[in-house]
Amino acid sequence: MADLWQDAMDHAVAIARKAGAVIRDHLQGEMTVMCKSSPADLVTMTDQKVEELIMASIMEKFPTHSLIGEESVSAGQPCILTDNPTWIIDPLDGTTNFIHRFPFVAVSIGFAVNKELEFGVVYSCIEDKMYTGKRGKGAFCNGKRLQVSGQTDIKQSLIITELGSSRDPEVVRHIFSSMQKILCIPVHGMRCAGSAAINMCLVAGGAAEAYYEIGIHCWDISAGAVIVSEAGGVLMDVEGGPLDLMSRRVVAANSRNVAERIVKEIEAFPAERDDASEAGSA
Amino acid sequence: MSDPWQECMDHCIAVTRKAGEMIREALKKDISVMQKSSPVDLVTETDQKVEALIISSIREKYPGHSFIGEESVATGSSSILTENPTWIIDPIDGTTNFVHRFPFVSVSIGFTVNKEIEFGVVYSCVEDKMYTARRGKGAFCNGEPIKVSGQEDITKSVVLTEIGFKENRDHFKTMMSNIQNILTIPVHGIRCPGSAAVNMCLVACGSADAYYHIGIHCWDMAAGAAIVTEAGGVIMDTTGGPFDLMSRRLITASSRPIAERIARQIQQFPCGRDDEESS
Repeated sequence: MADLWQDAMDHAVAIARKAGAVIRDHLQGEMTVMCKSSPADLVTMTDQKVEELIMASIMEKFPTHSLIGEESVSAGQPCILTDNPTWIIDPLDGTTNFIHRFPFVAVSIGFAVNKELEFGVVYSCIEDKMYTGKRGKGAFCNGKRLQVSGQTDIKQSLIITELGSSRDPEVVRHIFSSMQKILCIPVHGMRCAGSAAINMCLVAGGAAEAYYEIGIHCWDISAGAVIVSEAGGVLMDVEGGPLDLMSRRVVAANSRNVAERIVKEIEAFPAERDDASEAGSA
Repeated sequence: MSDPWQECMDHCIAVTRKAGEMIREALKKDISVMQKSSPVDLVTETDQKVEALIISSIREKYPGHSFIGEESVATGSSSILTENPTWIIDPIDGTTNFVHRFPFVSVSIGFTVNKEIEFGVVYSCVEDKMYTARRGKGAFCNGEPIKVSGQEDITKSVVLTEIGFKENRDHFKTMMSNIQNILTIPVHGIRCPGSAAVNMCLVACGSADAYYHIGIHCWDMAAGAAIVTEAGGVIMDTTGGPFDLMSRRLITASSRPIAERIARQIQQFPCGRDDEESS
């Protein structure tokens, strides 16, 4: 049986690598930084250029496919996931890291058909680590098989999260409250590396037992979700139900045990869905 | 005029590299973990073996020198800094990261004479990055010169610190509220990589604009202090006063305005001193 979508995945890997090279190149030069929704929600011309590069390349080879890209959505494109083969793209995950030359910056490309994720590619371009996952075929980093950590005792676990780009005092309060509760379980420690896609790959590779966050977007997690899942991990919503790609929230863990224990401590707060602006439109 | 301590520094770099190889080898195998002062204060056999390797290698060449090593202090050795040439050693900085294979794990060796830091070496061994600095001679990463970002505006900065469980509820609350207060200045972001020595090197090479921490140790800071200073950065006490190697706290930053702004924002909590004699 022909391997459906392998062609698309090979293309994703190739274009992610090209995009990563552009990002590395731009690290050397001057950067103009703009703010999006808050003084900590940053974007640069590199984000925009890289997204154009990726999308043009995909549209040339797969003209009937749909695309959801972070910068296009910022510029007003719809963010609705249909049954059509859809590429979900974050051209530069970790823009703050990029601006500061902090070493975790990634290109993230997820691919869904009939709203089901088929493969994910995350290229951590400063580290030159190409993470890939294809449904039913495992997850890899630079060709080496990935496996989540076997640690299921929450008190022996390392947890990754982020403080986020909202500076709204209510949101910050909820974020800190969740962190405090998890820290006091107690867990071994908490880490904040600055890129959601890379955080998920760190869980997939066993470097941490879980990553959770409220406030990310579908383009941050769609590739990582396949990679974690194919490495033997679990994904769920912060309130314990199944992962909802458009919900702006994620828990990715090595095991159900760890995921469920974290979910008990997370204080959820509202975040507008990625597909919200389309709700109720004529 | 020849440099009296260059030979020591060359030896330091060589033994640090060996130590890093030992750590990378250990990462390929199972790691059994023990607790020190609390369920989140971890140590492994590798910490102990690496420290033994470093100290015996240095002692063989420099028998008159003194040592302050994390694992030796844990088993009762003195941590008083004297005028004697002294090697201040953290065999594995980021033991929790090491146990979990989270990529920031380093060997940190600082060298003092007359209580002044002469050189520092930090080897981030998973990344294979050797950071070095000799007083007055600049700072380097894998032989390439490094310098701080120069950022003076706190609202455009990335700040490093660490978040961890503390048994003392008040200390824990103060630690958390410090992070919250820095975040909402606002800064661009806060990162918690998990190794104090690596954090100082990240500031030194411009990947972050500041690092502050209450509760670390002299062996976490001695090498990094030389590296940040030689990279053009500043280092001070968390109250804004002069840096005190034995105080268990620091702020290091790309510029004085950023360091001072952080000092104004954070609240202190007691953390003891490394040169306190325990009763």
